[in-house]
Amino acid sequence: MRLLLVEDDNMIGEAVRAGLRQEGFTVDWVRDAEQGDVALRTEPYALLLLDLGLPRKNGLAWLRELRRRGEATPVLVITARDAVADRIAGLDGGADDYLVKPFDLDELAARVRAVLRRHGGRAAPLLQHGELTLDPATRQATWKGQPVALSAREYALLAALLERPGAILSRAQLEQRLYGWGEEVESNAVEVHIHHLRRKLGADTIRNVRGLGYTLAKPE
Amino acid sequence: MSETQTPERAPRPSIRGRLLAWLLGALVVAGVVMGGAAYQRAHQDLDELLDYQLKQLAFSLSRQSLGSVPVLPGTPSPEPDFITQVWDRDGVLMFYSRPNMAIPMRPRPGFSNMDWNGQSWRVFTQLDGVRIIQVAHPLSLRREMAADFARRAVTPLLALLPLLAIGIWIVVGRVLKPLSSISSALRARTPASLQPLPHEDLPDELVPLVGALNDLLQRLQQAMELQRQFVGDAAHELRSPLTAVQLQLSLLKRASSAEERAAAIERLERGVQRSNRLVQQLLTLARQDPQVPDAATESVDMNQVAREVVSDFEPQAALNQQQLRLEPATEPVLIRGERDALRVMLSNLIDNALRYTPAHGSVIVRTRRDGPQALIEVEDSGPGIPPEQRLRVFDRFYRVPRAAVEEGSGLGLAIVKRVAQRHAGEVSLDDARAGTGLKVSVRLPAFASPASH
Repeated sequence: MRLLLVEDDNMIGEAVRAGLRQEGFTVDWVRDAEQGDVALRTEPYALLLLDLGLPRKNGLAWLRELRRRGEATPVLVITARDAVADRIAGLDGGADDYLVKPFDLDELAARVRAVLRRHGGRAAPLLQHGELTLDPATRQATWKGQPVALSAREYALLAALLERPGAILSRAQLEQRLYGWGEEVESNAVEVHIHHLRRKLGADTIRNVRGLGYTLAKPE
Repeated sequence: MSETQTPERAPRPSIRGRLLAWLLGALVVAGVVMGGAAYQRAHQDLDELLDYQLKQLAFSLSRQSLGSVPVLPGTPSPEPDFITQVWDRDGVLMFYSRPNMAIPMRPRPGFSNMDWNGQSWRVFTQLDGVRIIQVAHPLSLRREMAADFARRAVTPLLALLPLLAIGIWIVVGRVLKPLSSISSALRARTPASLQPLPHEDLPDELVPLVGALNDLLQRLQQAMELQRQFVGDAAHELRSPLTAVQLQLSLLKRASSAEERAAAIERLERGVQRSNRLVQQLLTLARQDPQVPDAATESVDMNQVAREVVSDFEPQAALNQQQLRLEPATEPVLIRGERDALRVMLSNLIDNALRYTPAHGSVIVRTRRDGPQALIEVEDSGPGIPPEQRLRVFDRFYRVPRAAVEEGSGLGLAIVKRVAQRHAGEVSLDDARAGTGLKVSVRLPAFASPASH
C-alpha cells in the first residue's frame, strides 16, 4: 500500500513515516500542498494523509480543490483543530476520516486500514480469497488454516493482489506499491517475491498472465 | 488580635444624606436670619408706634380738666400696660393709674428710659404749665411683641421643615436612581460578557462616568480576547510537539532491536526537548507581556550581554560546523533596561540565525552606538526571508515555510519584538550585507552614562 503523507512538521512526519512503514505501508512524504500536487499527479496512491495546518496553502482549501477536480484518492485528515465545526468542515470538505493531534500510531494505522477497507468496498476487516486469508491489522496470512510467515514486502505484494481479486497487476504497478521514493528497486525484485510466495502458498496460487502481469488464481 | 478584626470604619458619606443635611441646615439658618431681621424691623416699628402712643396719651390727659379726674385712687388707664401719673406744680401727686405702681417723677420733659422696680421703662413727661404729666410703659413689652412677631413670621417655615425633608429625600433618591441602575448593570458584567453599559437616558453629569467605564470595559475585553487567543494558540501549538512525542513513544515501544531502540530514544528526547523549549518560550512571552509591570531596570552594556550570549551558543555552532562571530563596538553600548530580558532577546535572535544557517555558514553579531540609539545586529548566511513574509514573522507561531529545518517554537521573533517594544525600541529585517541571508536589527534608545563621551 503506497500512501502519501503531507505534513510540514519534521518530527511528526518522520515518526508517521517510520511507524506506517513498520505496519507494511509504503509512505511518500511531502511538506506542502504544492509538492503534494506534484506527487499525486505522478504516482497512484491508496490514501492521502493530510495535515491541515500547512504553510503557504491551507490544507482544507487544498482538499476542496482536489475534490473539485475529481481526485478520488481517499483522504485521512490529521489536524490539531478539534472543534466540532472544524471536524465537520474537514469531512464535508472531502475527508474520509479525521484524526486529531496528538494521536497514537496504532490508531493512525487502524484508521488508515479502515479507510482503505471502506474505499475498497469491503466491510470485513480480513482479506480473503479461497483458502487464503490476510489480516491487515496483524499482517498475518493464513493458508489452508495454517499461519504462514511473510516478509513485509511479500505481505504488501499479496495484499495488493487480494484487494481486487481477479484484477491483473503489472510488474510496474506492483513495484509502485512496494517501493517509496528514494528506495532502490532491484530489477527482478517482484519476481523474487512472487517466487517466495508461490513456495509458501503453492505454485498455483498466483498466476502469471504473460505480457500483462500477475493475478490470483480462481479458488477451486 | 486586633489585626484579625476589621478596623472600625467611619460611616460612609451618602450623597442623599449629605444633601438632606446641607439643605435642611441652610433652611434653618435662613429661618434664623429671617426671624432676626423680622424682630429688628418689628422692634423699630413698635418703638415709633408706642412712643407716638405715649405722647398721644400724655397729650390727651393734659387737655382733660382735672376736676373730672378722680384723684385717689384713679381708674385704671384704658391701656392696660401704661402707667399714667399727674403731679401739680408743687409736686403733689394728683392722679395715678396704678395705685401700687408709683413711678418716681422725671421732671425732664420728653422721652427717657428709666430702670425702676427691676424693669426698664419708657417714660414720656409733659409739662403743661400747671401740671406734670408722665406716661410710662415697660420696654420688655416691646421686646415681647417684636419677638412674638418674629416667631409668627418664621413658624410656617419651621413647620414645613419635616415636609421639606421628606420631599428632598424622595427627589434626591429619584435623581440618584441612574447610579443604582449603572451599578446593577456593572454587577451583571462578567469576564465573558463585557458589553458596554447603556448610556441613553442618563443625566449629563453621569455620561462622563459611564463613558470612562465603557472605555475600561472595552480595554478589558480586548485584553481578555488577546489572552484567550494566546491560550488557544499556545494549546494548539503544544499539540505538535506532543504529537511527535507520542508517536516517538509508540515507535520506541515497537522497537525490536537495540539500534532501533536507541534511535527511538534519541528521537523521543528531541521531541521532549522541543516541547520543553516551546513551554519555555511561551513563559518568556507571557513574562514580556506589555501588561506586566516593568521589572527593575538597570544600566546594561549590550557588548557584555552579546559576549555572554555568543559564548553560550558557541558549542552549538561548533557542533553544527557554523561560524559564530561577535563584532562588538569599541566603547560600551549602554542602554537602560532589564538585563535578563535583553539576554533572552539576543538568545532568540542568535538561535534563529543558527537554526536557519546551513553547515559552514556564518552568523555575525554586531553591537554599535548609532547616534541616540544602541544598535544590535544579527546577520546570518541562511536562505533569508522573502520581503513579503517579513511582516508576518513577528506573529506568534508563524514559521517561515522551509523544509528540513529543526522545528522552532514560532515564538522567537515575537519575543524579540516584545522585548524591544518594552524597551521603547524597534526591530527591522533586511537582507544580509552579502549573500542571501537575513539581517535582524534591533534599535534601542541608548543610555548616556556620565562616564561615556
